[in-house]
Formats: sequence, structure tokens, C-alpha cells
Amino acid sequence: MASTMRGLSVFISDIRNCQNKEQERLRVDKELGHVRTRFKNEKVFPKKQGLTPYEKKKYVWKMLYIYMLGYDVDFGHMEAVSLISAPKYPEKQVGYIVTSCLLNENHDFLRMVVNTVRNDIVGRNETFQCLALTMVGNIGGREFAESLAPDVQKLLVSSSCRPLVRKKAALCLLRLFRKNPDVVNIDGWSDRMAQLLDERDLGVLTSAMSLLVSLVSNNADAYWNCVPKCVKVLERLARNHDVPQEYTYYGIPSPWLQVKTMRALQYFPTIEDPNTRRSLFEVLQRILMGTDVVKNVNKNNASHAVLFEALALVMHLDAEKEMMSQCVALLGKFISVREPNIRYLGLENMTRMLMVTDVQDVIKRHQAQIITSLKDPDISIRRRSLDLLYGMCDITNAKDIVEELLQYLSTAEFAMREELALKAAILAEKFAPDLSWYVDVILQLIDKAGDFVSDDIWYRVVQFVTNNEDLQPYAAAKARVYLDKPALHETMVKVGAYLLGEYGHLLARRPGCSPKELFTVINEKLPTVSPPTVAILLSSYAKMLMHTHPPDPELQDQIWAIFRKYEGYIDVEIQQRAVEYFALSRKGAALMDVLAEMPKFPERQSALLRKAEDIEADTAEQSATRLRNQQQTSNALVVTDQIPANGSLPVGQLSLVRMPSQNMEASSLDQGKVQGYGAVKKVDPESASSSDLLGDLLSPLAIEGPPSGPTTLEQSQGLETSPTSPGALALAPLSDQPNSIESIGNISERFSALCLKDSGVLYEDPHIQIGVKAEWKAHHGRLVLFLGNKNTSPLVSVQALILPPRHLKMELSSVPETIPPRAQVQCPLDIVNLQASRDVPVLDFGYKFGSAVVNVKLRLPAVLNKFLQPLPVSAEEFFPYWKSIPGPPMKLQEVVRGVKPLSLPEMANLFTSLHLAISQGLDLNPNNLVASTSFFSENCRAMLCLIRVETDPADRSQLRLTVASGDPILTFELKELLKEYLISIPAATPAPAAHPLQPQSPLPSSAPNDDPVLG
Amino acid sequence: MIRAVMVMNTQGKPRLVRFYEFQPPEKQKELIRSVYGALSSRADNVSSFVQADKIFGQDTRLVYKHLATLYFVFVFDSSENELAMLDLIQVFVETLDRCFKNVCELDLVFNFSKLHSILDEIIFAGHVLETSSEQVMKAIEEIARLEKTANPISIVAKSVSGRLGR
Repeated sequence: MASTMRGLSVFISDIRNCQNKEQERLRVDKELGHVRTRFKNEKVFPKKQGLTPYEKKKYVWKMLYIYMLGYDVDFGHMEAVSLISAPKYPEKQVGYIVTSCLLNENHDFLRMVVNTVRNDIVGRNETFQCLALTMVGNIGGREFAESLAPDVQKLLVSSSCRPLVRKKAALCLLRLFRKNPDVVNIDGWSDRMAQLLDERDLGVLTSAMSLLVSLVSNNADAYWNCVPKCVKVLERLARNHDVPQEYTYYGIPSPWLQVKTMRALQYFPTIEDPNTRRSLFEVLQRILMGTDVVKNVNKNNASHAVLFEALALVMHLDAEKEMMSQCVALLGKFISVREPNIRYLGLENMTRMLMVTDVQDVIKRHQAQIITSLKDPDISIRRRSLDLLYGMCDITNAKDIVEELLQYLSTAEFAMREELALKAAILAEKFAPDLSWYVDVILQLIDKAGDFVSDDIWYRVVQFVTNNEDLQPYAAAKARVYLDKPALHETMVKVGAYLLGEYGHLLARRPGCSPKELFTVINEKLPTVSPPTVAILLSSYAKMLMHTHPPDPELQDQIWAIFRKYEGYIDVEIQQRAVEYFALSRKGAALMDVLAEMPKFPERQSALLRKAEDIEADTAEQSATRLRNQQQTSNALVVTDQIPANGSLPVGQLSLVRMPSQNMEASSLDQGKVQGYGAVKKVDPESASSSDLLGDLLSPLAIEGPPSGPTTLEQSQGLETSPTSPGALALAPLSDQPNSIESIGNISERFSALCLKDSGVLYEDPHIQIGVKAEWKAHHGRLVLFLGNKNTSPLVSVQALILPPRHLKMELSSVPETIPPRAQVQCPLDIVNLQASRDVPVLDFGYKFGSAVVNVKLRLPAVLNKFLQPLPVSAEEFFPYWKSIPGPPMKLQEVVRGVKPLSLPEMANLFTSLHLAISQGLDLNPNNLVASTSFFSENCRAMLCLIRVETDPADRSQLRLTVASGDPILTFELKELLKEYLISIPAATPAPAAHPLQPQSPLPSSAPNDDPVLG
Repeated sequence: MIRAVMVMNTQGKPRLVRFYEFQPPEKQKELIRSVYGALSSRADNVSSFVQADKIFGQDTRLVYKHLATLYFVFVFDSSENELAMLDLIQVFVETLDRCFKNVCELDLVFNFSKLHSILDEIIFAGHVLETSSEQVMKAIEEIARLEKTANPISIVAKSVSGRLGR
């Protein structure tokens, strides 16, 4: 070991004795020089001045030490790498460790040792195996992955290896897979993973769990079989405490493994198997209830690590409301405890919790405590508290929260001011209960933290004031007050001058607000401001001249003098303004026409809000914040009163709803170019907005009517999205108005998910969420629509119309015309199935919110497979029936090409999720799959269907599919349905909407996301 | 995944630095300096969490423990649980304590190579490898035995640091 190397110790203590950085550098340089010479000499005279392995080892450690101190070590890499090939352990160990630290994965020298490393890994010496695995895990690049992955995989599952080696193999595989997923072959690993989770050794199990997390995060569908195993692991640890003493950490059975296991479970979209779910919730309940804050810090940390992970899992699983409230209550407790770590995480998790609907009101109860945390001595905690306040803010508490932030702004440290100012501005804009309050807040912000108030923010104030006449005198008066303050921020001068130039005349009767007085107070600032502000002041003077009736000759002379003074100014913008204003203002009455008040601005997305969206990356809590903000944006700031010219694009254009015909000949693939149903057209107003904002405000000649640029641009965008354009996100220009509605989440994906499960969200936008819960019994179905108004104001003109296909009888109970604020309305829909068909019913749904009219066409998941019931059959039943149906049209066979690469178990999962029963062992060929089910319709009641899939292990992109039943239509439809699920889409397909399958086909790519757990 | 492990003293001198994603030396130096800057301004009795995304980029977290003259710092991404990482620091420290009997900064200075071996038995390529310090000790003892048999010239660790630490 290094401690045994005297030279190294001497060197280290020399470095320690250095008095300053300069001395240290000299000492390091001397050492590097020495090592370099020794290495060089060895190359030149390998015999005479060769280095012993011990010397090499010593020098290489020195290099690493120097490297750690922050000096570049640009030589000796070869020597470090070559030690890997040394026969003895100590040299080899140094070689591996130092190489891991010094080189990156693309370093050329690594190639030279690929073989040695491989020999170490496949060799018998376990200590060598460990060293090699560690290095490969740390820096193994593509070449290592290519040549070593299979060997590492073998080690992991080998029964003869010690746990010490196997746990390293697990993590090594994880890293190779993460870096080069295409190189590491993990086909069929779901079974091996499931076996690994039965491991008794906790070290191996912990590593295996990390590996599972990595695999599952890549493709959760393939590892459903691991879910029950994970729950077992949790039970073993948290309930049975079945762990060796050495894995009990401060009385907690391996908190790391518990945490990892719960993390793995969070990668599965949901857990549907009732038994697994029940067991899991039992354990979670135990964890939630059984954790107390104790004296020992380490024990606290450990138990709360588990607890917070359990909370995250509960949130993910969308638990019962009762359990959620329990979680919020716990978090409420945490944010007031003494232990700072727990307080910190309490706040952080509460922010995440905002994503869960229904709990916001409970969280609001803790507002006072959260505000207290804004004054915590720890900046980390203050930050979390700010995030949470930002996330939980809505119309009801915006005033309190924003005022709290403003207050804090005066005392906050520099590092947080910018964020505070930005967040306060955003919240004020989004949730302002009234506009005068908004103006107050922004002016205060400029006053207290002008440096952090970007131009966007004050432009926005000007827009609102311009568009709201009631606000104009108020804003002007406020600006007047601020302008009296000493040491004004320049931004305040800009806003103040602008507002007083435009609206100062509205104050004329107030004391201290005569044109002359206004001019004087503004003009005092002129000598100290920068050119852009000077330009604004000049405009403002010109406006004042225009507004002064009768003209005041004295004021006029003063202002003209200024214009003349700037006529020769070096800044062209200012020069031009001065010249033009001077000329214009001599025109007398004509001035009125030219310098008239600014017209209203067309509504545009706030640059600030857009920026906020950019800033908010998609971490959980932030997207939660965004989601909530979408739900609850205040209407106070929607100010435009003009409807854009394209506001009424014919809705008919988008009625892309296409009732698929029951055309036996048409291959599903031919029916391309059908756009997905029921999406809302996304007209992106952003691109058109605010780019010309600056121009509007600052350009002296922007005097005529509202800028028309944006409107026409939007219009052209709207028209481009014609129904047949393939790439366009499915579409409907329902409203380009202020609150242009965009659906949340992909409608098509939501539908696909619901085709395979019976409850979930069908549609969501900022105002409404439509949930679905369905029950199926034979040929009857009952589907309940849950229409939930997310707003604090009612949704009106609600309409829901069912367009049933021929084969379904459907009856929708009445839908109320108005959905009260925050209310949920249930509308049951009864369905009777007459015949087999892949056509789907469509819900034509619409409502009005404010001036926005929303209309969407949504496919309802009353699909063929809902009327199937898995029916396992024995060989005695199967074969006679199979043989009794000789061929078409009741038995159809087709070679399907372009099949998604599914392993047989995956395919079995898929079939099970479509309600087909897999009959094991009926087909002796292991590459084949036999399934059976019964189909229910009113016409023929139950009808047995048999399915056989023959796969080719050599070419998984094709298979032969045979379907047989007593009804030709059923046989055909079922075969087509299965094909839709089996065929993979070409990768080039741009958007889900353009997917060239029949409209009712769920997207194959997204469908498996919702495979239920195999029962 | 764990991105980096750092041990540094309260003057900002690195004692052990390990990045699980390669960083060029200049960058390493800068990161160490930034982390030290963030930690040195923190009082005692505050939380163990520091906002690190300005230093290490999006989606990174930092937890640390301040023990005697040393900071133990783990940097990781959102796939890890913060408190579990803090626990892991504790495991690392407890293992060092077993190894060096009442570990102090000096032990780490002169045995920095041994630190690497210990760390490699706890964290593997940025993932938690072993959480039982008994198991880690077993592995370390085995390594020590192998080194001894291969290399007869050896001085006991403690005596070296003791001698130089006067």
C-alpha cells in the first residue's frame, strides 16, 4: 500500500510544509521533473536504468497525488496503464486505480490493455476480477463494452463467483449499458433480473437493484415481472426486518436497498395487480406511520431517507386521497422540526406534492410556516421555501405571497435577489387579483431591485397600462410619486418618463402634476441617464408638448432647446428623434394626429412567462409548478379587447374525425394520413409575439394603428396546418385568443393507454380534465366520464355528444351545461356491443371559458378487446376446435412483417393485456404462442377465438399469425387488431397524429407503457 | 448516479477527489474551488444540502458532512436519495474510522492511496456498491494481505503519520 512507500510519504510531507502556493508549485515541478526523467531514461536505456515495479508504482501514486492537487500531469499515462499488465497484485492495483482516475474513456492507451483486462475478468483470480471490473465500470468505453459485456453478464449470474465479484459485475454491467445501450445485449434479461432479485446476499441485491433501476428507466415494459419481486424485497426489509446485523444501519434495515427498491418501483407507470398493490401499500403505510424524529442524527437521516422515498412512491402511485392527506400532514410536521435536513426535504417534497391535485388546499394551511422558512438562517432552506411559495401561489394567496417576497427582497442576500425578483414579477403577472396591484408590485420591484428587473418586465407594465384606460391615471400618479425619490434606478426613470409622457395629462389637476412640473421632475434625470433612456425622455417631452393645452410657450422653449441640443448627438437614434420631434412639434395642431396616444397592443404572450417556462427545466417539482400555473392563471391580466383576425378559423376544417369503415379489403396500413382525433390545434403565438415589442415602445414613429405583423403571421401559421399536412401535431385552431387552449399531454397516447386499462385520464387542458372509468361485462359496458373543472370560475356551454359506430349501442346520460368552479361532474355512458369491429365511438366535446371556445373530438376506449374475456383452454378442447375450422373466412392466416422486436414473454404480456389467455405448452415449439379468448356481442353472445403466433427466432421482424373463430367478421377484426399491436411504426414517423394506422389503433410504441401487471 | 466524491479540509485543500465522469484537470480544480467556496460560507447547524447546479450543471445535488477539519462531499443527480447519500458518507467515515482507529486528517493525507481502495469498495462507478462497513473492512483487509505478501518492505501506517505529524 502507498503508506508503505517512503518516497511518497516524504513527498507528501514536503508539500504539507510548503508555506505558500508558490513553494508548492516549485516542489511539484521538481518532483514532476524527476519522475519524467526516470520514465524517459527507462525508455532509452531499459536495461541500465530500468525501473522496478515498486518504483514505477511509487511514481504513479505521486502523479495521482499531484493530479489531485490540481496540477496537470501530461506524461506517465503509459506507465500507469502498463502497470495493469504487471503480474503482481500491488502493481496491478495501482495501475487500475490510477488509470481510472487519470484517463478518460477515449484515451488511446486504454486500447492496449483491453486484452489484459479481459484476461483478468475471465481469469480465475477474484481479486484481479474485482480490480478489472472496477476500472471498466469507471471508465469503460465502447470498446470495452463490445468485448467485455458478455463476460460481465456471465459473472453476474455465475453461481460459482463470490458475492464480492458479482456485486461489482452488476454495477459494471449497469455502467456499460448506460453508456452504450446498443452494444450490451439485454434481451431476455427480465427473467434473469427477476431471479437476481431473489438474491439473499444484500450487497449483491443492492447492486442488482441499481441495475434494475437502470434497465427499467430504459424500458419499463420489459420488467413487469420484477414488480412483485421488488415488493417482496421491501416486505423482507421493512416488514420482516429479515437482514443480517451488518446491514442494519442505526436500527434501520439497509436504508439504501429500501430506497433503491422504491425508486425502481417509481419507474413503472402504475401497479395494477390488486394483490401486489395491496401488499405494497401495506408496507408503505408501515413506513409512513412508523417513523419518528429521534435524537440520533444518523438514525434520523436513515429513517427519513426511507420515509421520503416512500412519500415519493405514494405520490407516484396516485394513492387514495386519505393516504395523500396523511403524507401532507407528515410533511407539515417536517417543515417545522428542528433538524434542518428534514426541514429542507420537507419543503422540497411539499413542492413535489403540488403536482398531486386535491392536496393544494391542505398545503396552503402551512403557508405561515413556509413563509417563516423564508427567513431560515440556511440559504438552502430559504431557496426551497421560495420554490414552494412560488409553486403554491395562485389567485387566492398571490397577494400575501408576493408581498412577503417583496419584503424579503430588501434583506435577501445578493445570490438570491435575482431569482426573487423574477419570481415575484412572474407571480404578480400570473395571479394579479387586479391590475393596479400588479402595477404596484412591479414598481416596488424596480425600486428595490432595479438591477434584476429586465426590460421585459417593464415593457409588460406599459402594455397593460396602455390597454386599460382605467389604469392609466393610477399608473401615472404612482410613477409621479416614485420620480420624487432620490437615487432612482434608471429603469424607474424609463417607466416613469414613459407613463408620464403618455398619461401625465390625465393628472393635470392634481397638485404637483402640471405639465411643467412633470417636465421638471423628469428633466432632472436627463443628465445622468444612458442613451436608451435619453431616447425615451425625448419621446416623452414630445408627448407632453402635444398634450399641453393651451400650449405653454415657456415649456415649449425649454423642450425645443433640448431637442436642438440633441440634434447633433452622436447616437443616431437620439439624433433622429430630436430632429424629428423638433420638426413635428412646430406643426402645431397637426402634431395631434402624429403623436396621438399609443394604440392598444395586441395580446401577446408575456416574454417573462415564456422565460419562466424556459428556466423551469423539467424536474418534477418544476413541471408541477407549471402545471398548476396553467390551471390557475388569473384572468385579470388578459387585457386585449380585440379579437385577432384569425380568431374564427372555421372549425369544420378540423373535423378530422373519420369514421373508419368496416372495409374488409382495406389493409390497415393503406389508410394512412389519418390524423389523430381530437387534438387541439396548437397555434404557437410565441413566435409572433414580442419580438417587435421593443420597436413598439421605443420607435418614435410607431404611431398608426396596432402593429399588424403578428396577426398576419399567426394567421398564416394557422392556415398552414391543413388537415392533411402530415407532420403537424393534430390540430384545431379553436382559439387564438388570449387563453388559447392547448391540451396537456398527448391525447393519442392517453387514448392508447385507456385501450389497455379501464381508468385514467382521457383529456386534459388548462381548464378541464376528463377522466374515464369503465366496467365491462360480457357485451355490456358502462363507461363513466368525469368532467372536472380545474378553474375557480365555471365552464359554460358544456356539450358532449356521442358519435357511435354502427356496431355499438350507446347512451349517454345528460351532461350539464355548466360545470361549477372546481367541481367534478359524472356522466355515465352505457354501451352494448352488437358485433365485432375495430371502429371506435367518438365524443364530441366542447365548452366555453372566457372568450375561448374549445371543441375537441375524443375517441372513447370502447374498443374490440374490451369485449374479450380471457378463456384458457386445454389441449382436448383446443385441437378439435382448431381442426374443425378449415380455413378462410373463419380461419385467417397472415405473415406479418415489420413486427416490433418483442421477446416471447413480452408478446405474452401484450396478449394478456388485450384479454387473451396464453395457453402454455399447447404448442410444442417454444417459439410459438397459442392464446384463446371469448368474444361477447349481443348478436352471438360468447364466441370462442383461438390465436396462434409462430415466430422465427432468426428474424424477429416477422411472424405468422393465425386467428380462428366461428364468425368471419370477428376473425378478421381480431386479426387486424393484433396486427396493429404487433407492427412497429417506421422510426421516421414524425408525430403521433400522422401515424399511418387506423385511427382507432393505439400507437404501438406507446401502448406497452400501460401493460398491466401480469396476474 | 453519484457524480463526484470529494474530501477536503476546511482550508480547501483536497484530500481525496474522485469524479465518476471524467473532468479535465483544470475543470477539477475549478470545481473543487467552487465547492469549497459554497461550503466555507456555511455556518454549523444548518442543513447538509447545498444547491450545486450552478457548479455542476442541471439536475445535480450536493450533500456534505463537516467533521473536525474535513468536509466530506458527495455530488449526485436526482436518481439518488439525498438522505441516503448522507448515510453513505457516514458509512465511508465509519469505515475510515475502523481502518485508522480514530481517524484524523493526517491519516487521510498520508494514506490517500488507501482511501481510494476504501472508496472503491463503497462506490463503484458512481453507484452504491456496499453499505455494510464490515463487508468493506473484509475487502480492505484482503487487499492489505495481498499487498503484504507481495511486498515485504512495509511500515505500519500509523507510525509514518505519527512520525511526520510531530
